[in-house]
Amino acid sequence: MSTRLDQIQESTLEHSLYVVSVLGLASVFSIALGVLTRRSVLARELSLAITSVFLTLPALALFTIFIPLVGLGFAPSFIALFLYSLLPILRNTITGLDGIDSSVLDAAKGMGLTSRQVLLRIQLPLAWPVILAGIRVSSMLIVGVAAIATLVAGGGLGDFIKSGLARLPLPNSLEAIWTGTLLCLVLALIIDLILQATKRATISRGIR
Amino acid sequence: MSQPLIRLENVSKAYPGTEAPAVGNLTMDVYEGEVLVLVGPSGCGKSTTLRLINRLIEPTAGRIYLHGEDVTDIDPSVLRRKIGYVIQQVGLFPHRTIAENIATVPKLLGWDKARINERIDEMLDLVSMDPAIYRDRYPKELSGGQAQRVGVARALAADPDVLLMDEPFGAIDPITRDRLQNEFLRLQQDLKKTIVFVTHDIDEAIKMGNRIAILREGSEIAQIDTPEVILSEPADEFVENFLGSGAILKGLTLKKVRDIDLHDIPALEMPVLRDEALKVLENSPEKTAVLLDKDHRPLRWISEASLNRTTQPIEKSGKPITIDLQPEDTLQDALGVMLQSSVGMAVVVDRSGKYLGCCSIESLASMIISDSGGSATA
Amino acid sequence: MSVVTAPTVQRGNLAERLDLIVAPVFAGLLAIIGAAVLLYSDIDDTTRAILAPEKIQNQLVQTIILGFASSALVILIAIPIGIAVTRRGLPRLKNFLVDTLGLAQALPAYGLIVIFFSWFGAGINTVILALAVFSLLPVLRNTIVGLEQVDQAVIEAGRGMGYTKRQVLFEIELPLAVPVIIAGIRTAIVINIGMAALAFLVGGGGLGETINSGLKLDRNPAILIGAVLVAILALVFDFLGALAQRYLKPKGM
Repeated sequence: MSTRLDQIQESTLEHSLYVVSVLGLASVFSIALGVLTRRSVLARELSLAITSVFLTLPALALFTIFIPLVGLGFAPSFIALFLYSLLPILRNTITGLDGIDSSVLDAAKGMGLTSRQVLLRIQLPLAWPVILAGIRVSSMLIVGVAAIATLVAGGGLGDFIKSGLARLPLPNSLEAIWTGTLLCLVLALIIDLILQATKRATISRGIR
Repeated sequence: MSQPLIRLENVSKAYPGTEAPAVGNLTMDVYEGEVLVLVGPSGCGKSTTLRLINRLIEPTAGRIYLHGEDVTDIDPSVLRRKIGYVIQQVGLFPHRTIAENIATVPKLLGWDKARINERIDEMLDLVSMDPAIYRDRYPKELSGGQAQRVGVARALAADPDVLLMDEPFGAIDPITRDRLQNEFLRLQQDLKKTIVFVTHDIDEAIKMGNRIAILREGSEIAQIDTPEVILSEPADEFVENFLGSGAILKGLTLKKVRDIDLHDIPALEMPVLRDEALKVLENSPEKTAVLLDKDHRPLRWISEASLNRTTQPIEKSGKPITIDLQPEDTLQDALGVMLQSSVGMAVVVDRSGKYLGCCSIESLASMIISDSGGSATA
Repeated sequence: MSVVTAPTVQRGNLAERLDLIVAPVFAGLLAIIGAAVLLYSDIDDTTRAILAPEKIQNQLVQTIILGFASSALVILIAIPIGIAVTRRGLPRLKNFLVDTLGLAQALPAYGLIVIFFSWFGAGINTVILALAVFSLLPVLRNTIVGLEQVDQAVIEAGRGMGYTKRQVLFEIELPLAVPVIIAGIRTAIVINIGMAALAFLVGGGGLGETINSGLKLDRNPAILIGAVLVAILALVFDFLGALAQRYLKPKGM
């Protein structure tokens, strides 16, 4: 039993690592992209269209297509999850920035803030709730999809599902499958709670 | 008095969880061929009352009669197909053409295609929109005023006896609203429908209504009578406050421009030669004339002085006419226009913009004076 | 595999046009990569066996059937529920459903398929059921949002003119909700085709079989071709969905 708990710990940690690292990088990337393309409709729509295509690609395909380039394991899994999580965050960054009352921006410029200051001090903070919502969507997405990492030797909670499947109908196989599945759900709930707490901590009461 | 066309008898509407009913024990009659305006402060329940008539809101107590028949419990959809309904935001079906929108109730009633097609054209003509142009357009291509015209056309398509209108001109700019009100009054003269009209604007109520019901909270009737009586004998303080100060000024909305004697200012129709114009002006007592275009529409005020002062062609001399009045406009509207006019006069035009005559500030003033002298006995 | 993306609102002509261009371009790129792999990499006998045309063809068909069957099932369930739940008086049920299903998105599709396998045995039907559960949310949520964004004034006018509740639904609400609902169906189809790649795990066939063989036997070309094929398939259906969205929009919108 102790090895079992160890296994659970290890897999959960691996899975969490995927989610956190991917979300972290994807957030930075997508927000930057959203900010950089905010002035050009073409650039904006193009980025949205391309990241949207990533999301259209089948999970298994995205996980496996980079194998010839980067081998098995963590690398292809990370790349796939990264590409998946881009769209929700990007789209919400764009929507968030778009949705700011133009009179607020006008006032800011009128007071003498530079474009950069307006961006950092006003636009991003005001768009933050929407962006955070996008990050939440991405997180729900990748927690589920990350289970596939096991198929390319990437580890994670999918390992339980895989081993359970392989051992069916032996005893404990079903248990393993459910463990893997439900732990994903639990992880999702925990991440959701963390994001909610982040929301409360980082969003000014004036706009909640 | 003849039997009322619509009767609300002890009708109430209470919402669960709120103390005071939205409509409390209301009894109200609407007579055939009249325009009854429900007017009152926001939240008094006037819209609710209107919607009780076609049962978009079901009463919690009381009976509703249409043509003497109890319609409180019949199938509401059937009831509504006999009643025209016009709302402020119009609600045209965006995915259907204007023609299809207008054809809605006739189709529901099973009219045959030929009859429906004829009716569509008839209705568009009625609201002054060329069927050839507008039939196959979509609502998104229309302006606010045009959309509401179609709204009215749609409501009248199945020739209902009753029309319910909930702030129909509320979302429209004041100039267009005025136009639409006038057109609607002309329409009503021909069609003689029975209309219940809701507005929050007392001026609109006075202009449009044969009778006005001033409502308090809970849709309680503070006074229900003709505009003349309400203006001259307000029932209580609430009504007085609602009418606002200047009841005399409000009284100006009772008389229409067509009641004034129009001045016979000479009119010159293009093309016209300068010498001819000068001769006419010499003979005219005011030394002013109206220049019309070849469609008989007023363009400019021409005076002898302005002609002599310039070597410009006649179409560029004098002052341009920028505002006009229609016969259905009230004296209050006329006063407003007159104050903006640079010549102390305003042109009166018919529905197609053609010149009818002029209204001078003197004739307006004498009308007001004689009127206010006689208003106590109106 | 898109999943929890919120219903898209009309974003203007450029977005629409890009919608119809980017996916095919990508598919084309992938096809080129696939062709390059076929031509220039080391195709030994094992690989040839894995990539046998009849096999690939079968798997293609299986994937398509899986994608469509599960989508059809979802449409038949989710749209009526979406309609039912947006009728007056049921806001709490609606919120409850949307929240619960939202959470269900975090359940790994992989896990769901295997669990269903343990209940219902091997085969296509199992996968269809599992996929249906997984793609329920986009269609349900889009149906709900689509119906709720219909202008209330239009509905009020319709009722006021004498349309029965049923007529209001079919003549006004549904036609005006179609663009958003179709967007949801498109998402569901793409998800299902994508997830159908996992069907091989439980004896459901599909192109995942090729990828898996490639993984097991360590043949990169097979992995790539399999991945490319199923990706192109998903893009093709996404493109068809984009066409449907564009051309099934009611005129006058």
